[in-house]
Amino acid sequence: MGLAGQLLYYSVHPNQLRSILQWKIWHDPVHARTPEKESANLKECFKYLNLTSRSFCSVIQELNPELLVPVTIFYLVLRGLDTIEDDMTIPLENKEPKLRNFQNILEEDGWTFTENGPNEKDRELLVHFDVVITEFKLLKPAYKDIIKDITEKMGNGMADYVLNAEHNVNGVNTVKDYELYCHYVAGLVGDGCTRLFVEAEFANPALLKRPELSESMGQFLQKTNIIRDIREDFDDKRRFWPKEIWSKHVDKFEDLFDPKNLQKALNCSSEMVLNSLKHADECLFYMAAIKDQSVFNFVAIPQSMAIATLELVFQNPEVFKKNVKITKGDACQLMMESSQNLKTVSEIFLRYVRRIHKKNKPTDPNFLQISMACGKVEQFIESIFPTQDPKALALIHKGEISPEQAKTKAESAEANKDVMYLMLAVFGTLLVISGLMIGAAYLAGARFDVAVNELKKGKIFPKFDGGSEEAAKIANAYDHGEL
Amino acid sequence: MAPIPPSQKRPLGNVMVIGGCGFLGHHIIAQLVEDYKCKVSVIDIRTVRNRRPESDGVQYFDADITSMESILPIFEKTKPDVVIHTASPTLAGGTKELYRKVNVEGTKCVIEACQKTNVKALVYTSSASVIHDNASDLINADERWPVIPAKNQTEYYSQTKAEAEHLVLAANRSESYPRLLTTSLRPAGIFGEGDVQVLPPIVAVHFNNQTGFQLGPNTNLFDFTYVGNVAHAHCLASLALLTTSTLSTKPLDNEKVDGEAFFITNDSPVYFWDFARAVWKCAGSEKDTRHVWEISQDLGMAIGGMLEWGFWLVGRTPKLTRRQVRYSCMTRYYDCGKAKRRLGYRAKTGLQEGIERSVKFILEERKAESEKKGQ
Repeated sequence: MGLAGQLLYYSVHPNQLRSILQWKIWHDPVHARTPEKESANLKECFKYLNLTSRSFCSVIQELNPELLVPVTIFYLVLRGLDTIEDDMTIPLENKEPKLRNFQNILEEDGWTFTENGPNEKDRELLVHFDVVITEFKLLKPAYKDIIKDITEKMGNGMADYVLNAEHNVNGVNTVKDYELYCHYVAGLVGDGCTRLFVEAEFANPALLKRPELSESMGQFLQKTNIIRDIREDFDDKRRFWPKEIWSKHVDKFEDLFDPKNLQKALNCSSEMVLNSLKHADECLFYMAAIKDQSVFNFVAIPQSMAIATLELVFQNPEVFKKNVKITKGDACQLMMESSQNLKTVSEIFLRYVRRIHKKNKPTDPNFLQISMACGKVEQFIESIFPTQDPKALALIHKGEISPEQAKTKAESAEANKDVMYLMLAVFGTLLVISGLMIGAAYLAGARFDVAVNELKKGKIFPKFDGGSEEAAKIANAYDHGEL
Repeated sequence: MAPIPPSQKRPLGNVMVIGGCGFLGHHIIAQLVEDYKCKVSVIDIRTVRNRRPESDGVQYFDADITSMESILPIFEKTKPDVVIHTASPTLAGGTKELYRKVNVEGTKCVIEACQKTNVKALVYTSSASVIHDNASDLINADERWPVIPAKNQTEYYSQTKAEAEHLVLAANRSESYPRLLTTSLRPAGIFGEGDVQVLPPIVAVHFNNQTGFQLGPNTNLFDFTYVGNVAHAHCLASLALLTTSTLSTKPLDNEKVDGEAFFITNDSPVYFWDFARAVWKCAGSEKDTRHVWEISQDLGMAIGGMLEWGFWLVGRTPKLTRRQVRYSCMTRYYDCGKAKRRLGYRAKTGLQEGIERSVKFILEERKAESEKKGQ
């Protein structure tokens, strides 16, 4: 879109422009990098982060300083692995050991890789991979172990797929295979991130006991991207939509792109959307366990983009013609709303889930299932942010209060409670400080017994006698009125 | 589902199902016979319909639960360990007197009979409507929500169900009969094969070509529960009470089933009109929503009010009433988490499958009826 086109677009979509401006003007990162304190090597790493990532580079660079470098390195390592896997010009016998062994390469000082084809987009990163290794070695051992472990699992998973000839010719077969693929490329990332967050004490350790939650975080993002990218992947001769799903709607995968099969293709994409939507409630559940604002933004922004993308691709014929994207204005709006708290993110999910529900048609083979999936997300949000209060309802039915009163009563009860706590805090603080002061005075030799005796004698306002005559003289000597 | 091999069937002793020839009751019997090791007997006002084949060994007794003389001898004869009390007039099918007589007086009789014959467990079929005032929304309501007191309950049926539930729960470990354990299940919107309240009117809308209207914006979630799942919950509750009765100590407060009420749903609320459309689709409709005319709730209430008034003059009830308008615009769904945690309940049959089975049943009935007429 040229400048004139953009001007025209924003003049009829002022909300979009407003969101963009608001984000640019008011966005205040929780943490910002401090490049002046960074080593030249680390700066290089950030350079490659900005080169290789569009969606994650800004959220990563606003992370809490404790996790800023570990997550950046984690990202670059996985990006490096991905760049080897993606490149069809690397012969298998060279590729496989590199993938399976990448976790050990991370310990090899000065390792670089120059065998990527000239067209591989992130080639530069591997050519200068020694900077990543240098920085990796400086990380805390606990972070290093997590990154190595995930790298090993992902590398082996990728190697299995590279060797799987059937997969390379026909794409993904069953839904189970599809989810396994998403596990290797995204679920593992979710797992690694969670372990980093817990290690840094920015997330509730209970997340480690519910691995399906971090898995869902990865699956939701990956599956949504796979649905959106169908056309682009097809043009690149890659097929990620599982045969188990598309074969219910068309005979040959190519048929999805034939305009005369549009309805069937849309039904098929609905089923893919349904499959992805099933993770939405677990994603919200996961985000409830994040304790640090910058980490929350880091996980929430991509999730909000994903639910919005899912709504955009749902029942959208364009996905079979081109790569559809949420508008820049919507993206800014979403970033603003999701860098707040779970409540605002839940509102985003609710908004898009209801739009999906509105677009859902009974002619869709998965009509009821989609409706149920939307209902499930709504019910989950209601379970964490309830609209109704059973205690207030009980009072209403006892006839003690009317509904309006119940509301104000609940509110004022809440306010009273707040006031009580506030008073408690104020007096508590005063008590502690007085205690400290009296204690300190006592230790320094204050004679409270004398003071009490004097008070008993009724001398509440002790007269200042000016001290001894000598002292008065000295004081007078220094009393220069003109000063 | 594959049948459970006899060795893995769990024992329930002698089970008495009151209302065992009714809609829910006969689904409970089917599950008892197929999945449990037990001897089943049935009390119903008339035991002619929904009977199991002789080979299942179910004993049927015609009796009136509002009369002690009528049911006590049967209790004494069959010596039930578990009594499942499902008998009630339908929401639309009774008069005030009948509701009170069967739901309240009948339940009193059943409790007394249980106490006199040393029954160990009494499972009562209550209703999710006991916490509903028929006008307000219920949003993800659970057992903490208050039962609507009689003076605020506009539906007499629900009022009597609430009273009966109260009696049943009060009889749990009562002072004079501490051995009897009781529980109450509150299913929400039961549908299934043999249902006369939920699905038949919805299917009729399709056959009358009236699917082109939608009251309200269809953003309201609603619970519909397949009867097989409700029956499953009754069996689980019976099992839980029997297990509790063998314990020497009382179970923990957060684990106990006796003396407790449980909401039973399909654990998947759906948008009200989506459910109706899924039913129409199953009944053969191929329409999407382009032909649908959305009527706002206010307009619907006005039309309903006028129709009611007009029909009242001629002494009939119109097809569209304000009550229907309210129900199709309200949010009414529950959280069945307590039943999942304490009874181990899961909705085994999903909504789609439940609808398919039930609509098939209705279509077959219609066909049989039209064949009868054709002869």
